[in-house]
Amino acid sequence: MSAPVVETHALAKTYRLAPVLREVNIRLMAGRGAFIIGGNGAGKSTLLRILAGLEAPSDGRAIVFGNDTRKLGPRYRRRIGMMAHQSFLYPNLTARENLEFYAELYSIADPVAAASLWLERVGLAGSADARVRDLSRGMEQRLSAARAMLADPTLLLLDEPFAALDAEGVSLVASLIHSAIERGASILATAHSVPELDGLEFEVFELSHGRLMPYAPKEEVRRGGRFRSILGR
Amino acid sequence: MSAFAAVIRKDLRLELRGGQSILALLAMSMLVLVVLVFALDAARIRSADTAAGALWVAMVFSGIVGATRALGAERENGAIRGLLLSPLDPATLYAAKLAAAFIFMAVAEAGAVILMVLFFNLEFNASLVRLAPVLMLGALGFSALATLLSAATGHTRAGDMILPVLAVPMFTPALIAGVKASTAALSGASLGSMSDWLKIMIAFDVLFITAGYLLFEHVVGED
Repeated sequence: MSAPVVETHALAKTYRLAPVLREVNIRLMAGRGAFIIGGNGAGKSTLLRILAGLEAPSDGRAIVFGNDTRKLGPRYRRRIGMMAHQSFLYPNLTARENLEFYAELYSIADPVAAASLWLERVGLAGSADARVRDLSRGMEQRLSAARAMLADPTLLLLDEPFAALDAEGVSLVASLIHSAIERGASILATAHSVPELDGLEFEVFELSHGRLMPYAPKEEVRRGGRFRSILGR
Repeated sequence: MSAFAAVIRKDLRLELRGGQSILALLAMSMLVLVVLVFALDAARIRSADTAAGALWVAMVFSGIVGATRALGAERENGAIRGLLLSPLDPATLYAAKLAAAFIFMAVAEAGAVILMVLFFNLEFNASLVRLAPVLMLGALGFSALATLLSAATGHTRAGDMILPVLAVPMFTPALIAGVKASTAALSGASLGSMSDWLKIMIAFDVLFITAGYLLFEHVVGED
């Protein structure tokens, strides 16, 4: 059996003495997808930032691709794609320039072609030369999805990937996620509530008061415990 | 190498599009020089030490304005996180940000020198050529220091206030050497006669470029 892509052991995070995450245990295998739902301030974004190596945990360990996230080298960072609340895009660069810049950072052989391909995929070919600051929030979110998936990452950390998207945008990003899973990528995504996405089978967990637990609406409980597999217990 | 070049190209593109850093640096230089020209005794206006002092005051003030912007574009929309998450080595990111800051500061300094010559009734002659390496070393040292401090303080609430409080005292050794070397250059002294001051500036530059290269990844994070 292959090693998990994401693994955490009693992960905890505290901000100014206020605990945000408490003893979070996760095991996410390759090619699997999981949604973590929770209200505002539940710690979802913090968890994803720790897994991306952008923040250090206060206690416990976060391991991605077998490496502690505090010491993720370039080889492993290259395999992570992240969508966050902030788009990581430069407002004064155009959509195309942003993608070309990130393609160069990821040493993609033909940055111009890669940018064009992804602009097409997220339906922004017509706005390729518009500056990001002139795009609508939904268009920026699509571009952020393109940026995150540009280098074909094997782990996607998606913080509310459907926020600000219209129905067409949700369907488009869902299809990109679907394609990523089909090529073997693992997905860990967050949302305020369980997204209704056709054709996507995700395990769902709830982050509440800093603790991760299986999300179990009544009908799912009756069906059985299919939620337990990523909880590392 | 291509990622290093990509970051510089991106910064230059943003600067050409917005022009904020160089314009801010030039505006601050002009303001300082105008104030000093009117504040100083007319008899001292043509003296090399006065002009050199005024130029370095302008350079430090404008440099601080530039420094607060050094990582400003990266903080907007959280782009710094995108960079840190990418395979780009943080030390390479530091080198690229330093190079971009140096280019902006060098361009602004060239403008400030022209303003200094005009405001202080100096002549465009060979002394300005001897002044060039002094100013380049100063710009390099200040950019190295400011880029590191900007990374360390930029994610704090009082970052813009802390930066000059830290940068000016730390830059003092290079500042003193720079003023002395500039005075010598504008007085017509040879490069050899200012070598001691230049050595101090080179040592300062090496120290802070090395410190930035080694420490950047530890101070640039949000945590």
